[in-house]
Amino acid sequence: MTESPVEDSISAAAPLVVLSKVNKHYGALHVLQDIDLEIRQGEVVVLIGPSGSGKSTLCRTINRLETIDSGRITIDGHPLPAEGRELARLRTEVGMVFQNFNLFAHKTVLENVVMGQVKVRKVIRSHAEKTARELLDRVGVGAQADKYPAQLSGGQQQRVAIARALAMKPKVMLFDEPTSALDPEMVNEVLEVMRQLAADGMTMVVVTHEMGFARSAANRVLFMADGRIVEQNTPDAFFTAPRSDRAKDFLSKILHH
Amino acid sequence: MSPFNRTATASVLYDAPGPRARARYRVFGVLSLIGVAGLLWFVYATLDDKGQFNPALWDVFQYNTVQQRIVDGLLATLEAFGLAAAFSLTLGALLAAGQLSDHKPVRWACTAVVQFFRAMPLLILIVALYYAFFATDPMWALVLGLTLYNGSVQAEIIRSGVNAVPRGQGEAAYALGMRKTQVMASILVPQAVRSMLPSMISQLVVTLKDTSLGFIITYHELLFVGKAIASQPTNSAGFPYIPVVLVIGPIYIALCLLLTALARWIEARGRRGANRRTSTAA
Ligand SMILES: Nc1ncnc2c1ncn2[C@@H]1O[C@H](COP(=O)(O)OP(=O)(O)OP(=O)(O)O)[C@@H](O)[C@H]1O
Ligand SMILES: [Mg+2]
Repeated sequence: MTESPVEDSISAAAPLVVLSKVNKHYGALHVLQDIDLEIRQGEVVVLIGPSGSGKSTLCRTINRLETIDSGRITIDGHPLPAEGRELARLRTEVGMVFQNFNLFAHKTVLENVVMGQVKVRKVIRSHAEKTARELLDRVGVGAQADKYPAQLSGGQQQRVAIARALAMKPKVMLFDEPTSALDPEMVNEVLEVMRQLAADGMTMVVVTHEMGFARSAANRVLFMADGRIVEQNTPDAFFTAPRSDRAKDFLSKILHH
Repeated sequence: MSPFNRTATASVLYDAPGPRARARYRVFGVLSLIGVAGLLWFVYATLDDKGQFNPALWDVFQYNTVQQRIVDGLLATLEAFGLAAAFSLTLGALLAAGQLSDHKPVRWACTAVVQFFRAMPLLILIVALYYAFFATDPMWALVLGLTLYNGSVQAEIIRSGVNAVPRGQGEAAYALGMRKTQVMASILVPQAVRSMLPSMISQLVVTLKDTSLGFIITYHELLFVGKAIASQPTNSAGFPYIPVVLVIGPIYIALCLLLTALARWIEARGRRGANRRTSTAA
């Protein structure tokens, strides 16, 4: 199999996010079992797997919205701080987009994108607004800047959420099922923004069942089941020839309807 | 889920009444009017029967000194209420912040304080404070007692209001790199306030009414003054207890109505703000 120049440059790049021997329990449930994972600069990794396999949990440990019981996570060479100012600073470098958008309901769209810059990055307000408007234009919701989140469609809200995360100039972006709460006709407008982001070289971890997106934008697909990474491969290889029985079984379920 | 939809859902909750329902409501309306009028007449007749409307019993209210005492009592009530309201809201905010703290000892201590003072009967608290610390200054025993009790209740209201904000709001703020105080001050509390407001105001109404407990520790508030007036016998007609109740009672009712009106006004202002945003943005 020949690799494209882009993939060559990615495999040469330094790892940006590294998880080694990460374990996590919820009571008796072992949700993450000895997870080892390296994500390189500019790489787009798609996480798929059955419900309850730990995809969201894995994603959320990377910015410490979930703590881990053992193991080690580093971002750009620095171990994830446990608390305080250092943790907050690290979180600005890891953007997160949620399934339910989670836009601040009492703030306008513009204010949603401005807030983090002003309060966390201490950017002057006028600069922050300029950046915010540029980002909103870039994701195609510039005209909605003065509305409140509840007045926007799901697709528009999710694009605002992406802009809000980008405003912090993160090194890596996490997406936890960003299109699962959307009506079908809005899925593509969000995926298109994400594709563009991937093409611009953003490092991304995406939990999604959108095979089209995985095939067209991902460098690597990770298949999770029962808290383990069972299989990983390029999207083409994974979707056409899964190796593990779990993956074959899972793909047959989601592809056959 | 969004606080801005409330006006829309308010009318959706009820079906608009049809013609038969409207007729039924009219019948109910007339019947209850008759019932209330009958009740009032019964009360009036009973009191009149007992001679409670004998002018001699009401003469006492004509004296300037008595009028002045009622005004003084009212001012004393308002002073204790104002102080207790301000202190209890402050204490409530502090205790709520403590209960939501990340530090276990702080959380634990604040929860213990809240549970203790919420469970403690207010009267016991006030009497104990009076005899132990404030025998010469009953107002502070009253104010402190009201503050501890109502502050604990306000803390619970604030804490549950903050906890009722959808979890994703806080998570999204943390994910941007905000610190806990920023998340509280800019995301959670502003969204919680609107839902907390009615309960906070009703607790203030309770605070206002409970200032009347001051009479037990000889604080010269409205009820104390009323009792003093009522215990001076008139020349011919006995003690003017009922007339005093009929004067003092409506003063408390008026004060509570004023507070409730204030609450309505604040709420309406908040809602109008939300609607204005909606209409300019749409
Ligand atoms: N806060 C929690 N407390 C207890 N158990 C939890 C908690 N969060 C998740 N779990 C459990 O951990 C397991 C993994 O959850 P997770 O959300 O990571 O799965 P997922 O792969 O994202 O699934 P889905 O596709 O449904 O989103 C599930 O069995 C879930 O019930
Ligand atoms: Mg999930």
